[in-house]
Amino acid sequence: MDRKYYLDLAARGLRMPIGTDLVMHEESEPEKVRNDGEALARVIERAARRWGTPLAVPLMDLRLEKIDLLALAGISATDAETYHFGSPLDEATLTRMCGEQAVPVCAGSLARDEALAYIGTRPDLVPVGMAIGPFSLTTRLLADPITLAALAGSGVEAEDSEDVQLLWQCLRVSEAAVLRSVRSQIRNGAKAIMICEPTACSAFISPRQLKAGSNLFERLVMEPNLRLKAALEEAGCDLIFHDCGELIDLMVEAFAHRLHPVILSLGSSRKLWEDARLVPKDVVLYGNLPSKSFYSDGAMPVEEVVRRTEELVTNMKACGHPHIVGSECDVLFVPNAQDTIREKVDAMMSGAIAV
Amino acid sequence: MAQSKELYDAILNGDAKKAHAATEAALAAGALPLQLISESMVPAMDEVGRLFEAEEYFVPELLLAGRAMRSALDLLRPLMTASGEKLSTKVVIGTVKGDLHDIGKNIVGSMLEGSGFEVIDLGADVSPEKFVAAVEEQKPQIVCMSALLTVTMPAMKTTIKALETAGLRTRVKVLIGGAPVTMQYAKEIGADGYSENASAAVGLVRNLLAEA
Repeated sequence: MDRKYYLDLAARGLRMPIGTDLVMHEESEPEKVRNDGEALARVIERAARRWGTPLAVPLMDLRLEKIDLLALAGISATDAETYHFGSPLDEATLTRMCGEQAVPVCAGSLARDEALAYIGTRPDLVPVGMAIGPFSLTTRLLADPITLAALAGSGVEAEDSEDVQLLWQCLRVSEAAVLRSVRSQIRNGAKAIMICEPTACSAFISPRQLKAGSNLFERLVMEPNLRLKAALEEAGCDLIFHDCGELIDLMVEAFAHRLHPVILSLGSSRKLWEDARLVPKDVVLYGNLPSKSFYSDGAMPVEEVVRRTEELVTNMKACGHPHIVGSECDVLFVPNAQDTIREKVDAMMSGAIAV
Repeated sequence: MAQSKELYDAILNGDAKKAHAATEAALAAGALPLQLISESMVPAMDEVGRLFEAEEYFVPELLLAGRAMRSALDLLRPLMTASGEKLSTKVVIGTVKGDLHDIGKNIVGSMLEGSGFEVIDLGADVSPEKFVAAVEEQKPQIVCMSALLTVTMPAMKTTIKALETAGLRTRVKVLIGGAPVTMQYAKEIGADGYSENASAAVGLVRNLLAEA
């Protein structure tokens, strides 16, 4: 779609949480909805209509691509979440996991794709897809991803270390898996896809190593995401890029300028009005109220949500950068805290309207 | 003054191979395992923690230092077992039931180990019953619980209740941590402490032990 579409949404003052999980948990059997395309579609539609947004965003379920990928290695969906590769993969396994023809098999992926197709039939809604980013998927395939990345960042190459060899292999199969997921979602009507790279951050990639000249961020994060972006562009699908991890400026700048998404969604550790200087004016900033703390009245009372919303709206207006008020990540259901979470989402939606 | 400057530097620089070699050399020169731990390894990990607090080191540097420290400990442990030497404080650590995220827990465990504590890692998705059993069997002074998800945090409260029910709560200090966890939440559920990061967790454990 035209980039102007998203800029207009920002100009109109759109606010929205990533809140489909909250709405799903209003159902009597939410976990069944997760794997039922028709029911999931209704929940996604209801979430979009509740918050008055045309962007119909699915669940931010970042397990799906891993389940689909590991199925190619013969690992069941039940075991996938805890599974980690422990030694380098053989060529046959690598080839199988990188195969372009594989299609989603896990129930959640199939439901997500079916829901996208349904949303595509609603003329006033934009079907938005969702996928984990290649690096974040890589980190889920390894038991100790930070250490392996740090070893690579210290100059250890695949030839010198089986651990580092495995890291690069996992990145390769992850990129292929994300690409397959994205293509499947596009086939089912996604007009934009939110790529989530929460581990592309300073906790996983050392700013100290980057300062010392390491090209780790480039190799682990930017290169696969640039190829992903090119694939999206080729298919006419927009990139929404989400990273709620702890970022340093060069990461924000690289995402904003080089990936050049239509929307850049960041976590609450960032001050968006300060980040505006790092982001081109045609990239809408999204976020970034601290929704991970909404469950706690002690840590995040509703008055604080109102105050932060006012601060955010005021400062974003002052800096003049296109912005959609929203959550820092998906607003997850928390048992026994749903009322206070909803109250804070409401506060985020209505706070500082008059500014 | 470090017992082995080479070991101290190797840990500080996160070089596991050099740490292993330096430990071998120090032992060959007559150094005692507990001396190496207290005079070289703990000071090195303290310095790593200081650099982390100063934002000169980041999580990857903590982990590389922990890895280097473990490569040295791997050489020392059998010698300590043989001579009957023991580390003075035992910590049981785990990610709570329903939560499979273990990176944060591993970092804290690594920092605690590097700071001279004996760490018993129960892994991820640890049930309250398993925590209770570990406290009964291992008799630790400290229990550390981690959760990354808001949906799994309530398991921290359940685990504390289980320790109370088993009559073990007063025997241990309970620390909690993880991305969504706050000091306020720690107070709400009756934990003894909350730490925002791995480096601070070491200081917190030391303070709690000093108070006990």
